[in-house]
Amino acid sequence: MTAARSVADNELLIVRTFDAPASVVFSLWSSAEHMKRWMGPKNFTCPEMAIDLRVGGSYRGMIKSAEHGENWFRGVYREIVQDRRLVFTFAWENEGPSAGLETLVTITFEERDGKTVQTFHQAPFRDVERRNSHVGGWSEAFDKQAAYAEKVARGA
Amino acid sequence: MMHDPLSTTFSALADPTRRAILAQLVQGEATVNEIARPFRISLPAVSRHLKVLERAGLISRGREAQWRPCKLEVQKLRAVDDWLSVYRRFWEESFDRMAAYIDELNKGADDDRRKKRRR
Repeated sequence: MTAARSVADNELLIVRTFDAPASVVFSLWSSAEHMKRWMGPKNFTCPEMAIDLRVGGSYRGMIKSAEHGENWFRGVYREIVQDRRLVFTFAWENEGPSAGLETLVTITFEERDGKTVQTFHQAPFRDVERRNSHVGGWSEAFDKQAAYAEKVARGA
Repeated sequence: MMHDPLSTTFSALADPTRRAILAQLVQGEATVNEIARPFRISLPAVSRHLKVLERAGLISRGREAQWRPCKLEVQKLRAVDDWLSVYRRFWEESFDRMAAYIDELNKGADDDRRKKRRR
């Protein structure tokens, strides 16, 4: 039933196959110079892109068109698995219906016979909130573990 | 932070029970008892979900004190749908450009190979 499905459908999923190995497709996301060449819809250019590719590092870019002017976007990298998986937050800085609404983008790259299946998923901000609290929980546990290990090493 | 209308709608939609309630209301108006029937949760729990949906403007409730039937308000869902379709177009078209760029890269690599062979 279309209506019921659209009710549940608050996430975006786009699967595309590209004629290149996963290492190349991954690099199109992880290098600012590459990203400038394709980011943005038809009739847009991407003249600005800066990437700090590490977990917790951020990126910021701008796309522009004659009709829509400059549009800035930014986000923070959450997970990076070279050539396999990339997770980052995404938000528009400009005014508009989704201004300030942070979303979580998850992309996986799967190589098959020299081609790459790219699975792109974008979901609203709530998931980020949940993920953050989870990360907080683990890192606290790791801090405790490290402190304990030091204590053991000192022979306490 | 994040008190724009779309965020309120999304946090209301972030729960599977609430999405199921909305899907049920697509069929038409229903009372709290009717809504609670398919779920294995208590009536007060269903009432709490309905309050969240009502506050987000996703449903409205009748005035009759006894029944207060719930009704789906499509306006907010339409906003979600618009949001999704704008993003869908944004990425679909970006990926078209990505595919074209990959073709360019592949062609460049082929040309390089040919040049090297000629040398």
